[in-house]
Parts: sequence; structure tokens; C-alpha cells
Amino acid sequence: MSPAALIEQEAARWILRREEPGWTEGDAEALEAWLAESTAHQAAFWRLEHGWRRADRLAARPPASTEGWKPTWSRRFAPLAASIVALLGAAVWLGHDMAGRTYATDVGGHEIAPLPDGTKVELNTDTRLRADVTRDHRQVWLDKGEAYFEVAHDKAHPFTIYAGKRKVTVLGTRFSVRRTGDEVQVTVVEGRVRVDPTEAPKPTPPTVLTAGQIAIAKGAAATLVTPRTVPEAAKELSWRQGMLVFDQYTVERAAEEFNRYNRRKIVVTSPEAAAIRIGGTFETDNIDGFVELLQQGYGLKIEESDDEVKITG
Amino acid sequence: MLEQESIRAWFCAEVLPLERALTRFIGRNWRNPADVADLRQEIYARVIEGVGRSGIPLQAKPYVFTTARNHLINCARRGQVISLESVVELTGANVAIDALTPDRVVSAREELSRLSAALDRLPPRCREIVVLRKIEGLTQKQVAARLGIAVGTVEQQMVHGMRAVVDFMLGGSGRMKRPAAPRAKEGTQ
Repeated sequence: MSPAALIEQEAARWILRREEPGWTEGDAEALEAWLAESTAHQAAFWRLEHGWRRADRLAARPPASTEGWKPTWSRRFAPLAASIVALLGAAVWLGHDMAGRTYATDVGGHEIAPLPDGTKVELNTDTRLRADVTRDHRQVWLDKGEAYFEVAHDKAHPFTIYAGKRKVTVLGTRFSVRRTGDEVQVTVVEGRVRVDPTEAPKPTPPTVLTAGQIAIAKGAAATLVTPRTVPEAAKELSWRQGMLVFDQYTVERAAEEFNRYNRRKIVVTSPEAAAIRIGGTFETDNIDGFVELLQQGYGLKIEESDDEVKITG
Repeated sequence: MLEQESIRAWFCAEVLPLERALTRFIGRNWRNPADVADLRQEIYARVIEGVGRSGIPLQAKPYVFTTARNHLINCARRGQVISLESVVELTGANVAIDALTPDRVVSAREELSRLSAALDRLPPRCREIVVLRKIEGLTQKQVAARLGIAVGTVEQQMVHGMRAVVDFMLGGSGRMKRPAAPRAKEGTQ
């Protein structure tokens, strides 16, 4: 990095630190000393300070136009709550079959269903789930898609979820299970969850996940456990707020995520573009915003049609 | 101290609004575009030094561009990579200062949309952090806790974000600056 760029970085750090709590007299003196060291320091500092102060007006921007984080559950929940009442009556309950009730959502769907034992299930996009929950036993089959569970406490009757070749036994309360073909991902936000293979050729030790852990299992192969922090695990559940949170995702993986929620698909044809790593928070249906960023931020080429967005280079 | 303060006020009010024109001027007269930001900072430093020695000039614009021209010529003479034509052109004092884009008074509305655009040009992760810090008013520590990342990472992203936003605000492209190959070392000053 060039000397001028280094000076500018240092100037930026001074400005940031001055805005933080805990800025002391001594810090102020140190800054004065740094500024007095050279006019290059002054030039960089004054310039950034001036431009950054003008950016204070950012705060006046209406929240709707910020692409940033929108965590307010209540804001998003209010309209949702109204629709749940209607959906529970009609769409969610597809009827009885051998394994009790079936709950399902379409692409882009998102619904909450209470089970008879008081457990709350939240279904993400394109999901089908069968529940056989009575006073005596509690079993759920996740045929496809993703669901978040808040399991009612009942020590006498364990809550079991079957997903592909995995059996998830609930020892705690809040977690999600996602099934994509034969891949199963379990994300735990609170409490403990046990993951076992449904058919084991020989006895295997159970995998027990605690809060903040994510387990991924493909087919009958071993279950991989990734330790994360609870906030990171919670990010995996941001779909509950209608958001997608990408943390160093490749463009390819981010596109796959969007495609789960939308009928208009993102297709990445350039391998270089597919490998670019990005981060950010998007509403699940904000394909346009995502694509525009790739265009502006990374100079990628985009071809759009009614049912497809192609990233070609 | 008071003198420093008046220089600072003059620099922000009179010199920084010329940044777009100054950047273009440097770009036209210097071969390597990667050097432009460095040269600009050196020119700013010279402008501040000069004003400290001989007082605030009546007109900022000719003063800044004369300083810029002299600095570019000095750099060129010190044997840095520069084409001969450029030197001739510069020493010929044929600097079309008046042809530069006129300064314009930016309305609050325009400024606001410029800010939006500046934000939108940041990579998503960086923008998310800047939004939390600058708009939602979280401290760096709170941003770090909220996103589950280290405070140092937040500061690093904020440094990038601030530089890009300020660059855009002052008429630049607002692109994130990636480390470029260092310019050929200057001779001893």
C-alpha cells in the first residue's frame, strides 16, 4: 500500500476512535500530536473528517431504502400474523395421511403452524413436513425444505424429527432442520439436540449439538459439526424475518439461496463470478437489489429476462 | 492553534470542493492512474504548507492548481515514470484551469441522493456495517456483537467504508480502494 493510502487509513481510524465511547483527554492529545507530525496527516484527516461529517445526513435516509439489516421482528411479523390466520385454515393443513397431518409451503412461502402439543413450527420456502403428534408420542418427518422448531417441553415424550437419513431428537428448545435432497442441516439456537443416523450398520456414538452449533450430514456419511457462535447460528435462521444473511458466501451459494425463495432464478454462468465472495443482508425476494450490487460493486455483467437473471461475467 | 483552525476551515470550504476537478487534472497529466490519490494527498499537503507560510490566498482555485502543476513537474523531474510530452505540456503553463468543470453548489437533496449512491456502491458486508454504525448509531463494539464478528474487523470495514464514502462525496468514483502497486520511490526531499 502506498504511503498516502496508509496515512489515509490511519486518519480514518482516528476519526472512528474519536466517535467511540471512552475517548479520553490523552487520546485527544495523541491525535493532536499525530496531526502536528506532518501536513500530509492534516490533509488526510481534514479531508476525511469533512466528507464523513457530510455523511451524517445518512441518518435522514428513510429506512426503506437502506439495504442494511432489518431485524425488527414485530415490523415484519405484524402483516405476517394476519396472513397466518387465513393460511392455517386453508393452505397449511393438506389433510391426514398415515403419519398425521401434512404441512406445506410453496416457493416463497413462509408459515407458522402450532402443533397439538404446543410446539411451534415455522416453515420456510418450498417445504413439506408431516407431523404425528399426540399426547403419547411426538414425531415429525421433514420431506423437503426447512423448518424452525420451538418445542414444547415434555420430558416424558421426546420430540423426534426424521429428515433424510438423520433422526433429530430434541433435548432442548429452539433449532431448525433443513433438508435439501439427501443433505440435512441442523442449526441449534438454544438448548441441545441429538442427531443420529436412521440406519447405522454398527452402533455409532450420538452427535449432540449445543447452542451455536451447526451439523451437516450428507447421505449416510458422517455428520459434520461446525462450532459457531449463537449470533452466527441465528443468522442461519434470518429467513424467519424474511431476510437472507450472507457471510462470506460465494456468489454461487448466494444465488442458490435466492433461488430457494423465488420462481425467477439467478443463473451464474461465469465460474470467476461464481467464486467471488460476498456478504450482506437481503430480503428474500430482493433479487434486483442483489443483482444491482453485483453489477455496481463488482462490475459483473448481467442479462435479465422474465424468468431468469444470468450473471455472465 | 487558532491559525491551524482557520487553515482547516479554509481547506474544507475552499479546497475540498475542487477535489473532482483536481483529480481530473492530475489524471490528465499523469500516466499512471494508480498514483492519482497519492499525488492528490501530496498536493493537499503542499497547499496547507504554503498557506501556513504565506497566508490564505484570495482565490483558492488558481492557487491549488498552480501548486498541483508545480508538484507534478517536480515529481516528473525527479525521474519518476512520466512521459516527456507531459512535462512539456505542464511547463508550458498551458493548464486549462478555466476549462475545468465549474464548482457547483450542491443542494441538500442532491447531497442526500449522492450519499445514498455512495452507500449503495459499498460491498454488501461493508455497507451493512456502515449502516449499523452510522445510521443506527451503534458503537463498534455493538456492531461486532450484533454481527458476531471481531471489533477489529468492524473497524477495518469502517475504514474502507469511510474512505470510499468520502471519496464519492467529493466527486470520486466511490470504489473501494484496493492496495495498488506502490509508486516508484521519490528521491529524497
